[in-house]
Amino acid sequence: MISEVLTPEPFFMLATLLFSIGLIGLISRRNLFVVYMSIELMLSSVNLVLVVFSRLRGDMGGSVMVLLMIAVIAAEAALFLAMIIQLVRSRRSVDSDDFAQLRQTKEQL
Amino acid sequence: MLENSIFVILALFLTGGSLMMLWSKQSILSAFGFLIAMLAMAGVFALLENSFLFLAQIMVSVGAVVVLSLMVIITVNMKDEDLPDEPKKLRWILFSAILVAPFSFLMYRALTHMHQSFGVSQEGYGTLKSMGGELFSHWVLPFEIASVLLLAAMVAAIVIARKEPN
Repeated sequence: MISEVLTPEPFFMLATLLFSIGLIGLISRRNLFVVYMSIELMLSSVNLVLVVFSRLRGDMGGSVMVLLMIAVIAAEAALFLAMIIQLVRSRRSVDSDDFAQLRQTKEQL
Repeated sequence: MLENSIFVILALFLTGGSLMMLWSKQSILSAFGFLIAMLAMAGVFALLENSFLFLAQIMVSVGAVVVLSLMVIITVNMKDEDLPDEPKKLRWILFSAILVAPFSFLMYRALTHMHQSFGVSQEGYGTLKSMGGELFSHWVLPFEIASVLLLAAMVAAIVIARKEPN
């Protein structure tokens, strides 16, 4: 059986790695699409942790939570992509530095 | 041993896909890396004996989310010179990796604090039947809230993305 061979630590390491890659992408890239996919990647790594815990405890509750999370991810994707379309239409750019209207300027400080 | 090698292959695809997503300048290449990562994630779910989540991941995350992102990227159709110019990308990525490293170490230690190994899975774990039983007995309210959330997101996406009338 699968269960006697595998240990949970590699799965946790994989989830941590994916979350870190997502966080790095969120911090360091400026392309809006990459930012969006980084957020999705972080959400997916949380899903992975939930599934591993569900498998560890033999409890289907974690898997059901992942199913609901997948629905939330789909909703988030639709909203984010609609927002990107709106931003591109207004400024013809996918650079996140171009959308800084909410930032305080020096005069306002 | 077979499971371990399958896990290593899937982990390589996951990491490689997400690094490709992180590194590519072209948005479309990023989306393909993300596609690879999501497919490999579905494989990991299957390895954890969650057959229904495997299907849901393939159908929703790959079939809907990634394909929608690809369609939006193709529709937006950014030329090379319109893409954000990131001359110091490597330096930024290394700097943020140093920033993130202690946090990920902490997260890994917290996750592996319970030293346990997988037990033998019970009869019916991960099947559609047990999933449905759990979903419609203990998780009915979150399920309904998720449906309202999807409806709200659909309406909001249409409102945000449509052209102004004038």
